[in-house]
Amino acid sequence: MDYEQLLNMAAELGYQLMYSGAEIYRVEESARRLLQAYGLESPEVFAIPNCLIVSVATPEGQPVTRMRRVPSHGTDIELLERCNGLCRRLCAEVPPLDEAQAAVAALPEAIPRHSPRLMLLGYGAAPAFFAPLFGGGLWDMACAFLCGLAVGLCLLYGGKFLGANNFFRTAVCSALAALLAIVLVKAGPGESVDVVTISALMVLVPGVALTNAMREIMAGDTYSALSRTADAILVASAIALGAAAGQALGGLF
Amino acid sequence: MEAILTDYALPCVCAFWACVGFTLMYNIHGLGKLIAGVGGALGWLVYLLGGRTIFAAFLAAAAIGVFAEVMSRVRRCPVTGYLLVALLPLVPGGGIYYAMRHCVAGETDQFLSTLLHTLGMAAALAVGAMLASSVFRAIFPRLRPPKK
Repeated sequence: MDYEQLLNMAAELGYQLMYSGAEIYRVEESARRLLQAYGLESPEVFAIPNCLIVSVATPEGQPVTRMRRVPSHGTDIELLERCNGLCRRLCAEVPPLDEAQAAVAALPEAIPRHSPRLMLLGYGAAPAFFAPLFGGGLWDMACAFLCGLAVGLCLLYGGKFLGANNFFRTAVCSALAALLAIVLVKAGPGESVDVVTISALMVLVPGVALTNAMREIMAGDTYSALSRTADAILVASAIALGAAAGQALGGLF
Repeated sequence: MEAILTDYALPCVCAFWACVGFTLMYNIHGLGKLIAGVGGALGWLVYLLGGRTIFAAFLAAAAIGVFAEVMSRVRRCPVTGYLLVALLPLVPGGGIYYAMRHCVAGETDQFLSTLLHTLGMAAALAVGAMLASSVFRAIFPRLRPPKK
């Protein structure tokens, strides 16, 4: 058997899982079970939020190791579910290595994605429906929708100007939302600056990082849990910082 | 009757649609959208019934945790997506905002108490969902889908 090809395949599957935002224990367990299904006795898989190391020893005693660095990524539940399904299928059927590798390589392209317009609608709709939860009226809903759209535009199309820095990106989006909320309430139909701003900020809130941190603690991966908690706290402070800057700017009018 | 409609039914419908909006961002398709939305509405209902306190957030997160675990068993899918989206309406965005306002205005006392309340909400969410999932797994180990 070609152990290097097997190792590459397992590393690629683990990489895709990490990239979809899966928990660390899921990545480690999936890659390990896949290698075990192909007859390796004690494969070692180690992952932390942005690095994945897979190491195996061939039956002749030759160690082979592969490391993948995972860039910053979002959350893609469809990719996560498909990786999970594929891993289960590969472990159950154990197809020939070439076939399995082709299936893993074909994963990212086969994922259905929402069109940017639909995603933008999501960015607008979520704040709009949050406004009544925080005590806003119909006009607040409309303003929150517009603020959400602005944040969505900034996140979807502003990547080139904002760079890959999550902290900076969040702060800029939050400042934009706060500024727009003040403008819409002062010059437009909005009723409450607080409600509109909070509703728009809900799209940026680190709920995902918080939930992931909790699931890492549950699985016993303390290191990853700490790193994700730090991420959540950083994003929260970026939101506060950005909103403060936006409101200071808005106060000039 | 009308009070029930405006106080409970309407907010839950809003939470449902807000969560569906989030599913567009996290690339959830098909039935998953509905499940995530219902989870969000359920969580918000429990939160309202509990009186919008930290303990109510804890109960709401626990309800969402159990709901997400059941749904992941039914659909044989990872629990992550449903849990993630359904918890989002409860994340204390307002707390972050008001803490910032008090901080900028120099009101240290109110800033600290808002900050602590925000941290308490976040901790309640995490512990609630974690506890519910762990207890659920301990009670129903046989419902666990076969390992990958």
